[in-house]
Amino acid sequence: MEATLDSLALGFSVAVRPDVLLYGFLGCLVGTLVGMLPGIGPLAGISILLPATFGLDATKAIVMLAGIYYGSQYGGSTTSILMRIPGEAASVMTCIDGYAMAQRGRAGAALCIAAVGSFVAGTLGVLLLTVVAPPLAAFALRFGPPEYTALLLLGLVFLAYMSSTSLVRTLLMAAAGLLLGCIGIDVMTGHFRYSFDIKELGDGIGIVPVAVGLFGLGEILSTPSKTVTAKVVSPRLAELLPTGGEWRQAGPPIARGSVLGFLVGIVPGSAHIIASFLSYAVERRLSRRPEEFGKGAVAGVAGPESANNAASTGAFVPMLALGLPTGPVTAVLMAALLIHGVPPGPQLVSEHPQVFWGFIASMYVGNLMLLALNLPLVGLFVSVLKIPYAYLYPLIIAFCIIGVYEVNHSIVDVWIMLIMGAVGYLLRKLDLDPAPLVLGLVIAPTFELSLRQSLLMSSGDYTIFLRRPIAAALLAVSAMLLGLAALSALTRRDWRGRLAAAEAGDER
Amino acid sequence: MRRDHVAGGAVIGAGAVLLAVSVDLPFGTLASPGAGMLPKAVIAAIIGLGLVIVAGAGASPRLAEMSWGDLPHALRVLAVAAGAAALYTVLGFIPTVFLLLLALTFAVEGKPLLNAALFAAGVTGLAFALFSTLLRTPLPRGSVWF
Repeated sequence: MEATLDSLALGFSVAVRPDVLLYGFLGCLVGTLVGMLPGIGPLAGISILLPATFGLDATKAIVMLAGIYYGSQYGGSTTSILMRIPGEAASVMTCIDGYAMAQRGRAGAALCIAAVGSFVAGTLGVLLLTVVAPPLAAFALRFGPPEYTALLLLGLVFLAYMSSTSLVRTLLMAAAGLLLGCIGIDVMTGHFRYSFDIKELGDGIGIVPVAVGLFGLGEILSTPSKTVTAKVVSPRLAELLPTGGEWRQAGPPIARGSVLGFLVGIVPGSAHIIASFLSYAVERRLSRRPEEFGKGAVAGVAGPESANNAASTGAFVPMLALGLPTGPVTAVLMAALLIHGVPPGPQLVSEHPQVFWGFIASMYVGNLMLLALNLPLVGLFVSVLKIPYAYLYPLIIAFCIIGVYEVNHSIVDVWIMLIMGAVGYLLRKLDLDPAPLVLGLVIAPTFELSLRQSLLMSSGDYTIFLRRPIAAALLAVSAMLLGLAALSALTRRDWRGRLAAAEAGDER
Repeated sequence: MRRDHVAGGAVIGAGAVLLAVSVDLPFGTLASPGAGMLPKAVIAAIIGLGLVIVAGAGASPRLAEMSWGDLPHALRVLAVAAGAAALYTVLGFIPTVFLLLLALTFAVEGKPLLNAALFAAGVTGLAFALFSTLLRTPLPRGSVWF
């Protein structure tokens, strides 16, 4: 424990440096805007701004990009409460009771409860991250290629099992990502794969053009400007503080949402979305007045908002400690670290302590910044929401093109981004979630290398995965999840159905 | 015809094309895996998952019920962005970004020409200042103009 505190002190010495503070603040500010503005999610925001961090060192880059991620969870609540438009998917549940509170003249109180809940959950999440990540990383140092293969496979299966769409569709998209990750020179044999004589493809397809295309451009193509309206309920700042009764109603849901969100966040999948849905269902089930849900229940704002913030912090545990991305956002953040020459995973704590602990400490500071940003400046953010979408999206497209080009100064990357934008549009039409594709793309090189190394180590004996206890345990969990999914499909009774029923109020 | 017939069919078709393209990639053996082992295994999985989607397509919405009202707007936006990509290294940063913003706000969104031009010029100037001066990023100069 003493070593952890010493390391945290090192982290704070990095995090409170003026330059790191500045980039942390910029990340939080941009994240709040990204979370608020419909049509740009945290993934698009991070992907578009990733090239802007190339001139920074790894610590500043990850502090800024992570600030965008958890800042977007704060910002998402503002549009949900004031406009009934979820700025990003995890804020859907906040729309229901947050907007109802706003209609009753309690917009300020709803915003304050959402911000304080997010702050408490975010801070508790970082505390748990501080405690959990280093020992997990130390344990993962025992991992060899078979364990990594099994771990990455488990990550994909978990993602598919926990995905809010179907298991088959998620696995399909993850497989497509794995295949995209195979493009370029095979590092073990020197073979060119799917490069079609385009020399730029020799190094493979970058994550930035794919992520920006699928989530930046693809989202814009799926959002006709006529459908984005800007009817904003302006909060009265004088009514920003909730009443004593509202605080009492918000306390327990914030505590429950924080713990639930962190635990769900560790699991690969659409964690922050699932966490907010679960928290809403739990709060309604525990409430003495469930009939108030949907009509402005304080717990309906406090629980989901806390849960989605805690989940976004929990998602950093496997990313930092194991080098395992739990979703597309952590996949892009991992790519950012790799671009800066810092591989995430067990060695991160021992080899780059200033990055690891500086990043963790910056999250404590970032949560404070976000609390300060989101309450007093709510009026300013509301005015940003009034920018017509017809002017906003051309700006985003311009930044997509500039940002993607700047990664490698390659126009081929821009064309890949455009193709991925069109693919993203079609995937949405066909109800195929593009997020697992990015995850597959990121883990493909590590997965292939560790799989082939494992087979080489064992002279082709695939039972190596069953003879090593950690790998066997990880594969057993994967098999169990696939079995559960098959059982759910046969009985037509899986957790998604129950969640939807709970959300609709059919199941109490 | 339902949505998942199209989705699954497209996946199977794409998988078949990819498999054909992959014939020259060596699969290797389990003891010495080749460059084609993972891609071919993944393509097989993709085709299998496509078949599962087609098999369960009965529960998906009818193709005719799907809304494609946003397609013309999406195509216009994509065409303008493709034009910008084609011109970016030819014309350079400033003219391309200006034309991209002007085309999207004036031609696609139907905003008044003066408003669109002022918006495009202002944003282009700010973007140039941000990337070139503040972030010191080398921007494409182009063969015609900066």
